[in-house]
Formats: sequence, structure tokens, C-alpha cells
Amino acid sequence: MKELVQAFSTLEEDRVYQIIDEYLAKSGEPLALVNELSQGMEEVGRLFKDDEYALGELIYSGEIFKGAMDKVKPFLKDEDDKPHRKVIIGTVEGDIHDLGKNIVITLLECSGFQVIDLGVDVPASKFVDAVKETGARLVGMSLLLTTAMDSMRQAIKSLNNSGHRDSIKIMIGGAPTSERLKEDVGADFYGRDAIEALAIARSVFNQ
Amino acid sequence: MNASERIAAVVSLACPDRVPLAPLLDHWAAPYAGITNTVLMNDSEKRFNAVLKTARDFRWDMTFLADTANTTLLKLGVPARIKLPGRDLPEHSTHQFDEIGFMTDEDYDVLEKDGIVALFSTLIPRIYPEMTIEQALMDFDCAGKEIIEQAIKLREKGIEPAVGFVTPGPSFEYFCFARTVNKGLMDLRKRPAKIKSAGRRFCEGILELAVSSVMQNGIQRVFIGMSRSSPVFLTSKYFEEFIVPDLDFLVHGLIDANITPVFHCDTNWTKFLPYFLRFPKARCILELDSFTDIFKAKEILGDHMAIMGDVPSTLLAEGSRDEVLDYCKRLIETIGKGGGFILSSGCSIPLNAKADNVMAMTEAVEEWGWY
Repeated sequence: MKELVQAFSTLEEDRVYQIIDEYLAKSGEPLALVNELSQGMEEVGRLFKDDEYALGELIYSGEIFKGAMDKVKPFLKDEDDKPHRKVIIGTVEGDIHDLGKNIVITLLECSGFQVIDLGVDVPASKFVDAVKETGARLVGMSLLLTTAMDSMRQAIKSLNNSGHRDSIKIMIGGAPTSERLKEDVGADFYGRDAIEALAIARSVFNQ
Repeated sequence: MNASERIAAVVSLACPDRVPLAPLLDHWAAPYAGITNTVLMNDSEKRFNAVLKTARDFRWDMTFLADTANTTLLKLGVPARIKLPGRDLPEHSTHQFDEIGFMTDEDYDVLEKDGIVALFSTLIPRIYPEMTIEQALMDFDCAGKEIIEQAIKLREKGIEPAVGFVTPGPSFEYFCFARTVNKGLMDLRKRPAKIKSAGRRFCEGILELAVSSVMQNGIQRVFIGMSRSSPVFLTSKYFEEFIVPDLDFLVHGLIDANITPVFHCDTNWTKFLPYFLRFPKARCILELDSFTDIFKAKEILGDHMAIMGDVPSTLLAEGSRDEVLDYCKRLIETIGKGGGFILSSGCSIPLNAKADNVMAMTEAVEEWGWY
């Protein structure tokens, strides 16, 4: 089975599927496959952090993960297939850039988080409604345009006034964001890249 | 020295009389000149007047003609549906692109077999059902003629127009827009031979368009857009296999036509800076957007090509005048040491930049930029 971790982390797509097919044909435990795939994803994350992989590899690994899960999911019991760690994520109002946001979503989903993707150009009220409806403990906001920084401020202000601020953490990301902007808009975390966003999500749910 | 001589000196790595100033202007011209972004994007005359006013008021040596806020050029050049201020977005906002992925697998064959005009003819009616390819090409032709006139007017005022043509860059950049980034990245892995052959046809077509445009408008510099081919997205392996051949082809083709390639590098290119040593010395401009380590660029490429940049957009929008002055002073003293440097904004001046901060760039070159 370590072969699956190896094949996944070296992005051998066909080999990954072959190992899964063979394992499932022998009535192997499907949860073990999920664990191996997650370990493979961890390794991809490490290689990205060490600068051996770029976003291309990260995105490709997400695609392989999805393909692999399509094979494994029918064999999972209902309770195994229900992520309990919910994260709301969206690009703030006035901005429709979603490349970075989507990479973060892929990584979070591959790591067992349930992501509520609000999409792009998300108004402040939609973030508030999503928190009320889902009870998620983490909200991620992204932007690329500096002109959307005010929207981010506004969205966080609305969450502050919603009565739910104490029960959630807010992380921000996107090219022009920074620690300084995090302080300025009143967020809790700034993620420099998708791997940092994943680490933040893990830290929030491990608290 | 006049502006044109100053820029020429920088490109050839000779020392000019002072550091030239050439921020990347597009949407910011609208609020500064008191027009909406809707007008800026769609009214050629008002766009040019706004550009001219901005460049003159801030005493720039060189300015972009807000090419990257010109609806006609964007519609033909970017294979994604544009969201326009005044139509899809508020009047005072920048345009944005919906990257839906209009290009199919089969379109690579169209490009490979029949070239870029055939590809454009396939994609444009799909992206803009309300527009015919004939209309798009006619508009493009019209925009080209306007640029010729605008370049003359700008030069009469002593200001150098920045680029005579904007290319999307290596074919992979275009494919990412046309297919979505995810599919573009997958294609490199799943159909490498097709990407290379179609990519070459793309570069041949773009080079031909660029050279013919420059021959008409006389602006001897061409913009090469580069973001998704950066080390943020690609490892060296893929960069060498897919991007370098395209860049070699474009750069040498442009230089052979006596045109200066302007590498417009978005995101962090620090890791790939040594690759730029492969291009002919003193013939190119490397334009950085503040995410690349510009000081490292000076170290690696300072003796090889001109460097342009890189006052961060966040500083122009959210920083103080003193912070901008300090940053520019540092750039002028280090990157500008010995010549080879053009002070500019890191990518476009953001729409919410403060005029005082933009003026601080001017004050910096006038105070500390003299050699």
C-alpha cells in the first residue's frame, strides 16, 4: 500500500488508479485507501513547500485525488464519507478571480474538509448567511484586486456585527494580501499560499 | 537627453542622464482624468486624452496607451469573456475576465492546421455570439490606426509610447486563458506533442502580427505577457520543455526585426531569472510587478538586460507618500546603479492608487534619479 503513497506523490495518475482498482477488487478496506491518498497529498504538499513542485503539480494532484475518490467513494460507508470540518470560502465582492481560491478548496477537500464554496463576487451578507446556515468555524476570503480590499473589510465588519464572530475564525489570501492587511481588515489569519491555508485550517480545527 | 533617448540608453545598458519614469497605465487614467472606466474602455479619443493628461501631469518619460483597458484589443487578444464596467460591473471599476474555457481539445488541431486567424475565427463567435469575426478584425484594424495617430501625438509632447503590440506571451499563457489554467496545466502532461506543435503555430502567428503592427505604428517595443508560465505554476522541467522554445522563437523574431521585447512578468519569477541570460544582451526589458525579487534580478541580470519596476500596487493604493518615496529611492540607488533601470509601477497602477503616491514616483526620479 505504501506504493499508492509513492505513486500519488510522484503524480503517476494511471498507476494510482491501477493500484486502487486492484485493491478494491480484492475487497480491501476502502478507508485505508483514503488514508494512503491523504498521505500522498501530504507528500505533494511537502514537495510544494520545499519548492520541488509548483502549482501545476498541486493542481494535477488534486485532479488525481478526485479521480481516485470517484473510484473509492462507492465503497465507503455513509459515516466514512461525511467530513465534519466545515470551511466557508469565497472571493469578496467586486472581484471574480478564483484561481487561488479554487486551489485552496482542492487542498482542503483532499484533506477531509467540507468546503462551502460561495464562489466569486460574494457580498458581505452572503458570508454572514453562510455562517448562520452551516455553523462553519472557519471562513476564507480571497481577492486579487486592491480595489476589493474595502469589500473584504466590509465582509469582516458584517461578520463582526452578526453575533457569530466569536465562534468563527477568518483567514484571508490572494496576491495583494499580507499580514498588514490581515491586521487592517481584522482577520485572524493570512495564508501566503494554499499550503499555508491548509495549515491554518488544520490549526483552527485542532484547537 | 529626451525621453526616447533615455529609454534607448537604458535598453542598451548605457547610462542615461537620469532614471526614466514609465508607470504602467491603464484603468487609473479614468479616475485621474475624471471619466468613468466605461468611457475609458470604449471611447478611444477620451482614453487617449486621459492617458496624455496623466503622462503630462506626472512628467513621465514613457506611457502605455492604456492598451490593457482597450475593449477592442482585449476582446480579440484574450480568449475569455470580458466583464465590462458599465455593462456587467459598476461604471468606475476595472474590467475582469470570466475564464470559462472556450477552447476545446479539437481547437488545437484548428490552430495547428490553419493558424491563429482560424483559431480566433473559431473562438470569437463562441465567446461573443453577438460579434462576428469580421467585425472583430475590423475593430482591431481601426484600433491599430488609432494607435499610429496616438503615438505621433504622444511623441509630439515629448513622451514615448511604451509598446507597439501586446502579445499574450508564450502559447501556454494563451491556452490557459482559452482552456482554463487547470486544463492548460493538464494539457502539458497529457498531450505534450500537440501543445508543442500548436504552440509553435501560435507563436508564428503572433510574431507576424506583432512585427506588422510595429512596422505600422513605429513603437519598437513589444509586450510579452508572462504569468502562468512563471515558477509559481511550473517547475523548471516544464518551463524548459514548453516555455523556453516559445520565448526563444518570439524574442529572436522580435530582435531580428529590431524590436525590443518587454517581458511583463507577473507573480514571482525569482527562481527562473537565470533563464533570461539566454536572450541577447542589451536588447530586452524585464518588467517586474514586485513579487519577483528585483534586487536579485539586478544581481543576476543587471549586466544583461534593462529592468523595469516595481512599486507595489498595495503601496500605491494603501501606503503613504513617504513610503513610496523611500521605496523609489531604494530602487533608484540599487537597481538604478550604473543605468539599466526604468522606474515603474509593479504591474498596472491600481484603480484606487492615491495621486500623491503616483506623484511621489515622479518626485523620486527628479530628486535622486540623476546620474
